[in-house]
Amino acid sequence: MLTLLDSASSSPWYFFGYFLDHRATDLGWLWDHTWLSVVPVVVGLLLALPLGWLARRYSWAYPPMMSITGLLYTIPSIALFVLIPPLLGLDPLTPLQVPIALSIYSTSLLVRVVADGLGAVPTETVQAATALGYRPLARFFRVELPIAVPVITAGLRVAVVANVSIVAVAGTIGLDNLGRLFDQGYTLSVTEPYYPPIVLGIVMCVLLALVLDAIVLLVDRALTPWRRAVRSR
Amino acid sequence: MRTNKLIVAAATAALALGGLTACGSSSDSGSSTNGTVAGGFIFGGPPEFKTRTDGIPGLKKNYGVEFGKYKVTDTGGPVTVGALKRGQIDAADLFTTDPSIEANGFVILKDPKSNFAAQNIVPIINKTKATDGVKQVLNGIQAKLTTEGLGELLDKIQNKKQDPDAVAKEWLSSNSLGTTGTSAKGVTLTVGSANFPENVVLADIYADALTAQGATVTKKLNIGSREKYYPALAGGSLDLFPEYTGTILQYIDKNASATSPDDVYTALTKALPANLVALDKAEAQDSDAVVVTKQTAQKYGLSSIADLAKKTK
Amino acid sequence: MAAGGAQPMIFKTLGWLTDPGHWRSTPFDTGILGQLGAHVGFSVIALVIALVIALPAGLAIGHTGRATWVVSVANAVRALPTIGALVLLVVIISPHFYGRTNAGFLIPTEIVLVVLAIPPILSNTYAGVQNVSPAVRDAAFGMGMTDRQVLGRVELPNALPLIFSGFRSAMLQVIATATIASYVTLGGLGRFIYDGLAQKDYPQMIGGGVLVAALALVADLLVAVVQRYVVSRGVSGRFHRNTSVDSRVAALVEENV
Repeated sequence: MLTLLDSASSSPWYFFGYFLDHRATDLGWLWDHTWLSVVPVVVGLLLALPLGWLARRYSWAYPPMMSITGLLYTIPSIALFVLIPPLLGLDPLTPLQVPIALSIYSTSLLVRVVADGLGAVPTETVQAATALGYRPLARFFRVELPIAVPVITAGLRVAVVANVSIVAVAGTIGLDNLGRLFDQGYTLSVTEPYYPPIVLGIVMCVLLALVLDAIVLLVDRALTPWRRAVRSR
Repeated sequence: MRTNKLIVAAATAALALGGLTACGSSSDSGSSTNGTVAGGFIFGGPPEFKTRTDGIPGLKKNYGVEFGKYKVTDTGGPVTVGALKRGQIDAADLFTTDPSIEANGFVILKDPKSNFAAQNIVPIINKTKATDGVKQVLNGIQAKLTTEGLGELLDKIQNKKQDPDAVAKEWLSSNSLGTTGTSAKGVTLTVGSANFPENVVLADIYADALTAQGATVTKKLNIGSREKYYPALAGGSLDLFPEYTGTILQYIDKNASATSPDDVYTALTKALPANLVALDKAEAQDSDAVVVTKQTAQKYGLSSIADLAKKTK
Repeated sequence: MAAGGAQPMIFKTLGWLTDPGHWRSTPFDTGILGQLGAHVGFSVIALVIALVIALPAGLAIGHTGRATWVVSVANAVRALPTIGALVLLVVIISPHFYGRTNAGFLIPTEIVLVVLAIPPILSNTYAGVQNVSPAVRDAAFGMGMTDRQVLGRVELPNALPLIFSGFRSAMLQVIATATIASYVTLGGLGRFIYDGLAQKDYPQMIGGGVLVAALALVADLLVAVVQRYVVSRGVSGRFHRNTSVDSRVAALVEENV
């Protein structure tokens, strides 16, 4: 430990000083990292809602849809990042490759979550809603979807936290986000380890993941007031 | 100290398990496969060096050198240096300006047959942005860039951990190039760089000097590899890039055979697509080199790449 | 335009994959079979270590209901950026190894993969044991079973579907993430992805991605088969409508419903 403190500026604990020295860049990367992590989850959810509903509505659609989304999820992120621009005919430097890749992952994860969440709605509840005169569409939005919210938000939490980690991988191929700090620290560790950027990157990624997770949790609370009502009784 | 011991203890435990699978990726070939010095060596370098014309195929063609095994490390970075220093590899592809070559007492093997082409630093710029003012600013920088100067810049970044942009500004002012003016006024351009410190600081130097002369500059630094940034440069989403004459020529024209600085530069100006121009080449060079440790060089009597093809006794 | 570019690429990739020369290893170069073996090796080591740690811990926490904070901590660890943790560990550990060894890179990679695999196994084991109906547990005690017998003969079998889904989730993540071993000089299927990228050899790169996905698929199928034989039919509910234990999200469903 002592040896590390000797040269204050390469000590792991200097990460905060390092942050202050490079505030503008680091905050810029934090912002990039944030939208790269969040937007794909929103896109994924918007795509997963109809797909998940389809998978529940038509039982023949469920197995193939689950196999396809499961398979997509196993493609290593680094390969997907690089493949997207040539496949879609985009500029090779487009920052869009990351959100597109992550949207694919988020959709794959969330389709299953939505389908299973809707599947977990008790048959009696659906029947009761039908008896009360709900048409299928209204029933979906006012009864089935709200009941599935806890499951779906649990999936959103996994997706958003996973995204924060995957976005960092894109930093190692030169796309702007907090992952660049790892590349920077690694490049400067030639003669001896240079910890500050690496530690700073980890700290900022973890904090970002925890904050985003907390936000999803708060939204979940706000959308499902009845759960608190039951608990407080 | 104690943490070190703990790490080693944990490591030994993990190794007991790890030994099992290491075979798929491991390196201990040890014995020579073709009876030459190189045949018993593990060579470390970036993935593309394995297939590049002046990489493994070039070493074989020009010197008859065939290494026992290739281990992918990184592009002249910490992994390659560390692996060479600690004996995981025996010879490596490093860059001649790398301060860690001297710091670790590594030996650069001579290249009498010019397997590695000249690598003068050259700004590649989009023709529409290359106004006389811009050219004048950049060529002024090119005239002052020397190989030693480059080494000093790198030392400041890699060992003294100074910020590349600060190092760039300091270099400009100490060479009285950072003066404010209007020669590049009205020009808007995007400067890119690859993801190694030397290229970043060069891009910073170009960008800062142009900014001081009134240009509106956007920096897109640390772009992964040439496969990513060159198409962007050719396609116009990047306007200016610090390049190396030999590498960029080789990239555009796989069959390029020029090796001397002037020949390479002339070939490059002809090979570039119509929308790109090469400005003046600097005297400063940073080329690939085959590097070994001092102990290895002494043990096998190596001073030139050709010595690697010697038969072992 | 996309189809025009994609079509020949598919054939080129198939060509790369079916070239026997790419499968064999030479002393100079490791082929697909060798890298596949290394990839499986990295993954198996990480999963075995993770199981040895997370399974007993999850069973104990679920059974006693104590120290549940461990599960929360393990879940919070998911927020750790994998690539950052890897770089940090490599920078710390690799300078301690000299000579012809991969240990300086292998150990950090395995630590990162184990850390990745523990949370899903741990939280699913915990949730599985905890979800056993109190009536079932009481009945077991009522029959005169000891604490240990209740855990081993009642709670564990009942928790197996969830444990399996946690393990399959961990396995998929480990197989996909083991590609980063190649970011730090090791072998594995990630080698083709990183090398293909650097060498502009896109068929090689896509081929590498395809191999990883195929490996994940085959491994998941194998474990699904094992699961079918290990999990009691009374528990898996195969007598009834399909309950479709899912590899990634079943735990979420169970925890939240």
